[in-house]
Amino acid sequence: MSTSPGSSNPEYVTTRVRSRRSVLFNDEDYRKLIRMGPAEIARFMEESEYEREINALGARHSGVDLIEYALNRNLAKHFNDLLDWADGRLYDLIARYLRKFDAWNVKTVLRGIYSEADSADVETDLIRAGEMDDRLLDRLLDAGSIEEVIDLLDRTTFADPLRAALEEYEETGVLVPLENAVDRVFYEQLLSDLPGGEANQTYREFLEAEIDFRNARNALRLARSGADIDPSEYYIEGGQLFGASQLSAIGGNVEELVAVIRDSTYGDDLDSALDEFEAADSLISFERALDVALLEYSDRLGFIHPLSVAPIVSYILAKEREVDNIRAIARGREAGLSEEEIEEELVIL
Amino acid sequence: MLEATSQLATVVLQNNATSFPLIPAQAAAALAVGLAALGAGYAERGIGAAAVGAVAEDDDMFVRGLILTVLPETLVILALVTLFLTTGIPWDTAEFFEAMFSAAS
Repeated sequence: MSTSPGSSNPEYVTTRVRSRRSVLFNDEDYRKLIRMGPAEIARFMEESEYEREINALGARHSGVDLIEYALNRNLAKHFNDLLDWADGRLYDLIARYLRKFDAWNVKTVLRGIYSEADSADVETDLIRAGEMDDRLLDRLLDAGSIEEVIDLLDRTTFADPLRAALEEYEETGVLVPLENAVDRVFYEQLLSDLPGGEANQTYREFLEAEIDFRNARNALRLARSGADIDPSEYYIEGGQLFGASQLSAIGGNVEELVAVIRDSTYGDDLDSALDEFEAADSLISFERALDVALLEYSDRLGFIHPLSVAPIVSYILAKEREVDNIRAIARGREAGLSEEEIEEELVIL
Repeated sequence: MLEATSQLATVVLQNNATSFPLIPAQAAAALAVGLAALGAGYAERGIGAAAVGAVAEDDDMFVRGLILTVLPETLVILALVTLFLTTGIPWDTAEFFEAMFSAAS
């Protein structure tokens, strides 16, 4: 893992982040957005934070696509700013979390090659927010085969696990082993050699919570789909909630999974969501509850340790939720969903 | 041998009692102010970084940022107070105040 030079400067980064956080859309903005059509949403965004992106992309795209690409680009801009500002250890801690987007980009490129999509189409789906620079990403886009992509990734941590998964991919012809390999690399580096200290201890707890929630979500999805897959195949190491063996022992039993989650340390936060999940048998509200719980948790950490990476991570999460929300509104309106249905999809704190 | 040590000890103690202290009063006073300024500077480091961050996001924060940045300077002013209280004012105080009051009245 590369260490960035200089001492860390949490004061500078957290103030800028708090200031940017205050301009995120609030309840009222969302209430307005829900009543708008895609074109109006684009106009509303043009008068807000997203002005530059909408203007830059407005000539080439329109409707929901314009909104989506502008959102992606804005997200990338803000997260690249974070990496620009931070020095030293703080940079490492932020970069470690933002590698999520490296993983996303690698997966997008792989999927693009798999589905033989046009590289221009794939490019608009990339989020250039991670640590990989534009040159590498452009070369990844130009790559013609999965082997080529892996060769280009040679200097990153993704190369070796991808190579290992390549064989399985060639045997089965499905992308799942490759995508799992990428996800695993991301989550493994997330917790590896995290520096000590009280503030970092809480950061670790937050990351573990994120991994736990991801595991819970995967397990519940698998259990509900009724597919005959061992959930431990999708298991991510590092969480507190389940062990791999425990998870495969539970298998597809939804009730037992819910019971395990209810008994865990997250039980209090997720209790009402779990009740709702059991009553309505719908994953949507449960996944929303997971998102809200994670957001609240990161917010709380930001108040406990104001001069650490915690407020920055909470901003990253809040910004991601905002982008997801606007996307959900735009897509929902396009698909003709009612206002109440869209509102149910939103994650608002 | 033992007698020599005790003699040496008395000499050393006497010497210590009579000789100048390691840090003379004026140097100690200067150090006190200097250390206070160092503390103020360290405090300003964090506040200044945060203030510049705030100003970069929003220009209106400039004045507020500036005020908050120089607040720790009060530490140095307080250090000057202790300096005067402990070492005495370096000029003739009575004369100084007399001159000041006569000038005022």
